[in-house]
Amino acid sequence: MKILIAFKYSVLRTLKIWKAVLLIWFSSLLTAGMIGIPLKRALKAGFSNSTITERLAHGIRPEVFSDLGPVLKSMMSYISGGLLFAILVWFLLNVVFTGGLFHSLSKTENKFMIRNFLGDSAKKFWSFLVINIIMSLITAVVVFIIIVLPVNIITSSGTPDEGVLIKTVRILVLVFLVILPLLLLAADYARAWQAAHSKNECFRAIGFGFGNTFRTLFISWTAMVAILIVQVLFGWLVLSILPAYIPEKGGGVFLLFLLSQFLFFVKIMLKVWRYGSVTSLMEQKKAKAG
Amino acid sequence: MLMKETKDGSGNKTLEYRAEDIVDFAWTAWPGYSVFTDMWKNVKITLLLPGDRKDQVDRQLQAVKNALEYFSANVGPYPWPYVNVVDPPAQGSGAGGMEYTTMFTSESAAGMPSFVHLPEMVTIHEFGHAYFMGILESNEFEEPWLDEGVNTYWENRIVDHYYGSSSGMLDLPWLKVSDSEVTRLNYVRSGSRQASTNKPYSWQFPHGTYDMMSYSKAGVVLRTLMGIIGEETMNEIFREYYRRWAFKHPSGQDLIDVANEVNTKMNGDKFGPDLNWFFSQTLFGTGICDYRVSALINNPIRSSSDSLKQNVKKHKPSYLSDSTYNSKAELERIGDVMLPVEVLVHFSDGHEVKEKWNGQSRTKDFSYTGKFKLEWAKIDPDYRIAMDVNYINNSKTIKPDRVPERRMTDKFISFLQFFMNFISL
Repeated sequence: MKILIAFKYSVLRTLKIWKAVLLIWFSSLLTAGMIGIPLKRALKAGFSNSTITERLAHGIRPEVFSDLGPVLKSMMSYISGGLLFAILVWFLLNVVFTGGLFHSLSKTENKFMIRNFLGDSAKKFWSFLVINIIMSLITAVVVFIIIVLPVNIITSSGTPDEGVLIKTVRILVLVFLVILPLLLLAADYARAWQAAHSKNECFRAIGFGFGNTFRTLFISWTAMVAILIVQVLFGWLVLSILPAYIPEKGGGVFLLFLLSQFLFFVKIMLKVWRYGSVTSLMEQKKAKAG
Repeated sequence: MLMKETKDGSGNKTLEYRAEDIVDFAWTAWPGYSVFTDMWKNVKITLLLPGDRKDQVDRQLQAVKNALEYFSANVGPYPWPYVNVVDPPAQGSGAGGMEYTTMFTSESAAGMPSFVHLPEMVTIHEFGHAYFMGILESNEFEEPWLDEGVNTYWENRIVDHYYGSSSGMLDLPWLKVSDSEVTRLNYVRSGSRQASTNKPYSWQFPHGTYDMMSYSKAGVVLRTLMGIIGEETMNEIFREYYRRWAFKHPSGQDLIDVANEVNTKMNGDKFGPDLNWFFSQTLFGTGICDYRVSALINNPIRSSSDSLKQNVKKHKPSYLSDSTYNSKAELERIGDVMLPVEVLVHFSDGHEVKEKWNGQSRTKDFSYTGKFKLEWAKIDPDYRIAMDVNYINNSKTIKPDRVPERRMTDKFISFLQFFMNFISL
């Protein structure tokens, strides 16, 4: 019941702060566009006035790109550098936005205003930055310990049995998938707690995040698994639609752009829904304790 | 074939095998193998692979049957009553992708998805060595192109035929990789493509060029030859090569002699008295092949009555234009290799003209006078000259299609957005 209340509450709050979602969507478009638009110009210059692009009518053909020669080499170095830059920029933007989102999703915030959203983000930027960095590092370390290290040990033993290796990897991934909701819960509870408190106390927030996760383990974990299942199903839908849709006319490309951006907008809504659900679970527990 | 099995009573046994007309042999034993058999006509196919790789059985057996069918139809019959395929386990993967007469090793992995055709490629390639060194027993060390190169050419053809000419290596809805194109890329993108000829023995090749020279360049050269003289002539060359040299020791010159003879028989002097001009430039030359459309020109022809007509034209839709144009497609041969090419010229009303250029001169112009503008020109429109190191400059249009670039960029942007969202907490 608590989970359903949290989900319902979160849906309503998410819809209420649609302007914030719009802002996040637009920022991500700008960030990705910083890399994508110069890439388009490079492709245009590389293919020049050739009819070779007809060979790309039905999808990506690496051999067509390889004939770009030195242009391709500079494009690849630009893309790899650009990706790192985009990821760094987005990491920082995400810190800003999550600060505002968790605050806007709390019960204390009645009317959503972009000014307050950005103001709250700015006030708690450093605390949210530390929480994001620490939780990202913890996730990376968990991936390393649970998956990378054991696989490395097995493969470096010299005679890995193929069947054993595949089964081991499957089990390790499964273990990680069981642990992943706990890490996300800890990160979300930490940020929800920080949003509800005026002082910047990132380490206390992380402590609360882990503590609350384990105190409400069954409900929290079940809720997070349900949310992740919805997100995975949505991801599967996106992966089934976008790569397979290969428009051949300008109008179709515009439709692709609209469709992909709409799907991404929904993806952000789903993430905000997750934040809102965790915030609601925390508030329900607080109300009960009070 | 197992001839005799004797046990000495102390737990050991002796197995005696016999094989006819073979130049090499190998033997394998491992308790983890699962054994599967199948038949193609009178040929028994035995597949040995690790027990946890059963999902790869059907595709491996089918690949062998495809190769048997294609080689038998286009080169000559498979002479042995059996073929043994070994797909070694991961701990023995170093043994994968190797040929011995009537037996070869492939490479796959449990769970290898069906859209990746790597196991089929390796199987078809290694099976092909049953012909090119197994039956046609050339010297791999002296003339590796005659073994690996010819075999790569046939592997490309078979994989293209059975698994798609654009998807022989990877077949996803949004990403396709062709086997023959990968061979071409290994050659055209190699920094050493002009470093050596196939004249010297393989141990005299410049450092690091063995793979490119033996496999890729020779495969691409033969594919280019097929593009010029046609698939049927090519098949007949190899059928005759098989008839004349099976179970003998042919050299590269023997194959070239057969090619000259068959080509003259089938095409007369259409491509000259022989094909030596081709082999000397490509296989034994160091030049590259690169053609380019350097310009498209559409000059309106003005007459004295033009000014009088201008007023009338203003009120006429553009498709009823009565302008006349002097149009010209300017072509260039940038590389040293001179090969005959076709040129396809397209006009704004949709009509097309196919021209031929022997490729001998450095430049060539095709001029036209007519009511319609020259819209695009393509050298080698069917991509038959696989040796051409740059297909992009082979064509020029006055109306470039930017849709694929826009589509790919849009997808790149949206996937980057999803990726950034995915990796952030």
